[in-house]
Amino acid sequence: MPLSSLKPKMRPHSSLKQEFLKKWIMGLQRCSFSKKNMSILERKKAIKFSADIAMASARNGTTCWSRSLISNASKEGSDIHVVEQILGSESDRPAVENKVPTRRASVCKKIVKRSCRIRRRRRRRKCVASAPSSIAKHLVRKRREVLKSLIPGGEFMNEICLIEETLDYITSLRVQVDVMRSLASASVRASE
Amino acid sequence: MNRALPEILQCSDMTVLERQRARLKWQQEQFQQHQQESYFSELSGVFSSQTGHVQGFRQGDLMSCGGAAGGGDSVLSDVVMTRQLKPDPGLETAWPELGKVDMGAMGFGPCGYGNGQSFDMNQAISRTSSCPPAVAAAEVKGNLEKMGLAVERDSLKKRKVEKLQNSKVVAEDDSKRIKASEEEESKITGPNTRKSSNNKKETYGDTSKENSKVSDVQKPDYIHVRARRGQATDSHSLAERVRREKISERMKYLQDLVPGCNKITGKAGMLDEIINYVQSLQRQVEFLSMKLATVNPRLNFDIDNLYAKDVFPYCTTNFPTVGNMAQELANHPPYVQFNPFQQVVSGCGVEMGINSTEMALQRTISAPVSIPDTSFLNTSCFTGMQQIQPSAAWDAELQNLYNVAFTGSIEGSDLKMEM
Repeated sequence: MPLSSLKPKMRPHSSLKQEFLKKWIMGLQRCSFSKKNMSILERKKAIKFSADIAMASARNGTTCWSRSLISNASKEGSDIHVVEQILGSESDRPAVENKVPTRRASVCKKIVKRSCRIRRRRRRRKCVASAPSSIAKHLVRKRREVLKSLIPGGEFMNEICLIEETLDYITSLRVQVDVMRSLASASVRASE
Repeated sequence: MNRALPEILQCSDMTVLERQRARLKWQQEQFQQHQQESYFSELSGVFSSQTGHVQGFRQGDLMSCGGAAGGGDSVLSDVVMTRQLKPDPGLETAWPELGKVDMGAMGFGPCGYGNGQSFDMNQAISRTSSCPPAVAAAEVKGNLEKMGLAVERDSLKKRKVEKLQNSKVVAEDDSKRIKASEEEESKITGPNTRKSSNNKKETYGDTSKENSKVSDVQKPDYIHVRARRGQATDSHSLAERVRREKISERMKYLQDLVPGCNKITGKAGMLDEIINYVQSLQRQVEFLSMKLATVNPRLNFDIDNLYAKDVFPYCTTNFPTVGNMAQELANHPPYVQFNPFQQVVSGCGVEMGINSTEMALQRTISAPVSIPDTSFLNTSCFTGMQQIQPSAAWDAELQNLYNVAFTGSIEGSDLKMEM
């Protein structure tokens, strides 16, 4: 991922918001068209789902987290039409692209898990080093694992990639929160 | 053998590795030859003694050396030479700075050539400089101090140097060295390499800047890395160091992005903040989607109507500009935002984890979250009725978008999607 995209304020955020909003509303339309009388939780899920997919598709497959988010969403059969709607005409391409990495990714995932298990076993046998540097490393490693669990598709990234993806993910989340908040407030206002 | 090196260097038949090895050999020989020569006493007034160590050489370092000269810290100006001999011009330009320090006419030969793998760092405490013979000849006349810079921090990652370029650069460097009149002096008291602080560390960015300054002949297509003082020079640790620098660079970006990260310096602390921030953002998304679900029982977000409304005093408090930011954020938006929702939620009896702690969290978080978002918020209100900064283009375009979306939808003429 190019580092230039990470530099703060390089992207025109308003256009990003527009894109997100448009795709989100499209997805919601598709959702509500298919299901009638959704419960509140279902609605919430649909809203969040469409928002996530819209956010991910706004990246056009440039970031790892967006790809993995879309591929995870595509796996469930029920909502795949929403995904297709949002992705639009490109729905074929990303779907094909995502299938291959998910297979490879699942293999990688198994390998990573196996190695983590082995490492953990080894670590247990070893006595905990009292050197401050190793303690610091341990702390950092733990936090990195937590971060990996937060970012979609984070388990497969090395550290550099993880931080880049985090940056991008944070900006996307912010955009999402902003747009949703403004929409919510406007809706609340309008309903009064 | 003394004179042989430049010729060997200029020979374009040799591979880069062979050239390095030749340099190293020559340098070692120089070291052995001049080991007895010691002109440290002359410089004792200038520099205090310090154990020899190899270090990266750069302009900043030279400045600090110059500055520290009075203070008594001596610095062994070893040059970490990359294959393209970049540091030489760097040294060269920095030497005039040293001119301020009265050092006597000593020539300095920053020839830290060599092959990192084959050279043991610990023997690098040589007092003699491995100057090319031409320079040595010119400067040995007077009180020449030869610094031993047997450092091979061979820190190149990719080795695609063109031999022609190399020879050109060597020639350039030789001439520059002859011109140089200043030198760096340090006392090497023994075979102990003392690891200094990282003040001599040179980042990748700096080397690349020097690169661009140095010569237009070179087109570096590899990463220049300088090893730290007293650190291992094998490729693994260097690669790891590059990796670490990349990571820290990206962490700096994260520091700007995540609010409240500026005060924290440790990696673990920063990661903590980042994790908290990401979690809070994700929770906000959940929360807002729930809110939207309750507010809008039919999932029909009638954007047109929202646009049509004239009065949105709520918006002004919700999207303050930079000017009004501080006061407004402090007081109104979180409360105004949550009160109606609270009523709605209590009415619906929805259990979503919206409890008082969550609300409190939202309150505390929306304030800091929004502050760095001024850049986002300036043109962000899509209701279009922002009293402060109407962004006409954004609104008009968005309305058009929605018109298109609505009319082009499957529902046909129906503008609203009704359940």
